[in-house]
Amino acid sequence: MRRPDVPALVAGVALIGFGVVLLLDAAGELDMTFGTLAPVACAAMGITLLALGLSRRY
Amino acid sequence: MEPEDPTQPLPQPKRLTRSRSDRVLAGVCGGLARHLGIDPVIVRVLAVVLLLAGGVSLIAYAAMLVLVPEEGEAEAAPATARDSSPGRVVLLVIALLVAAPLLIGGGLIAASIVLPLAFLALTGLVTWWLVSGEPFAGSAGDVLRRSALGLLVLFGSALMFAAGFMGAGLGGGTAAAAGVVAAGAVLVVGAFVGRVRWVILPAMSLALGVGVVAAAGLSLEGGWGERDYRPASAAALQDRYELAGGEMVLDLRRADLPRGDTPLELDLGMGQATLVVPKGVCVASKAEVGAGAVDVFGDTTAGVNVDWDDQPEGRRRVVVDADVGFGALLVRHNRRDLDHPRRDRGDDGPFGDYRGPGNTGCADA
Repeated sequence: MRRPDVPALVAGVALIGFGVVLLLDAAGELDMTFGTLAPVACAAMGITLLALGLSRRY
Repeated sequence: MEPEDPTQPLPQPKRLTRSRSDRVLAGVCGGLARHLGIDPVIVRVLAVVLLLAGGVSLIAYAAMLVLVPEEGEAEAAPATARDSSPGRVVLLVIALLVAAPLLIGGGLIAASIVLPLAFLALTGLVTWWLVSGEPFAGSAGDVLRRSALGLLVLFGSALMFAAGFMGAGLGGGTAAAAGVVAAGAVLVVGAFVGRVRWVILPAMSLALGVGVVAAAGLSLEGGWGERDYRPASAAALQDRYELAGGEMVLDLRRADLPRGDTPLELDLGMGQATLVVPKGVCVASKAEVGAGAVDVFGDTTAGVNVDWDDQPEGRRRVVVDADVGFGALLVRHNRRDLDHPRRDRGDDGPFGDYRGPGNTGCADA
């Protein structure tokens, strides 16, 4: 089996998680504010950048 | 003195190459410093100074990027083949053409054209390096292709942000969120199938656009522009006023409001909503502002995710329920544009000092 592209995989999983949070907000199950958006967005971008950096190193 | 041995090859001049080991961008400064035998930091500082002094170093950097081979590349490829590369020649001609005005005068005008273009090209290169991992260096054609691809990814990302922002703002929050999940799924599947790293940035931009709308509670329904409502009676008053973006003024001074509560909903996406009430009418207000300010008769609160709730009692009340995405909600007894047309507009702006009477109609006023 082909080895997956780790950064794309990590970014995809992070986006799916973020999308689920947005779906819950749209459904009224939770109330998203900038106070929750900022850390979630930073975490998603941070983990993707981390994966990108590590993939170049190894 | 010994005679020269004609069978011995002549010593080759030291070739200028771009450094592979000492590089910030493409190893130009590092290679030049090694060639001249000086500290690379000096070359880099000089390059920055010249960049700020008109951009000559940018042109020189671009020319060296195109013309000077990388360390190791010089030995591997014959000079004739490298020099005859059509891409390098074209880039050199372009560099000389744009450099000429800088070098012979009129530098500011030329720099105002050249620098943004160079900045764009560099932005494209950096973007493509980030999303693909491909290096800056290479043939002229490769550099141009990477820069163009990087700009294309940036443009696509801006479009995706706008699509997410508008889609969610126009009531398609669920569909837009589903789109984010789908984009994530594409990346997950694509990670096993092919090269999809370039999708990461546009997909994240889409998510960010949807996220900003969700966090601000933004609604882009109701049109754009300026709205000036002056209902002549209480019967003409609508329950709800909405505007996607712009300035909305609702002047109730001629409405002859009845005793008791008059409920009112204000829904503004981006901009400023001003509610003007007659003196003697109490205003009870509840407002959520994604980012901006609420200013009720000079009582102001501002910031991100502002949650305002002020419910004073009064015999004749306007009960406002406002939702503002980005912008400000103002409640006043007068209007700057009608009542004080010549007055400095900065006097009682959303973040200035309000000089009129307070919430006069309330029981504890």
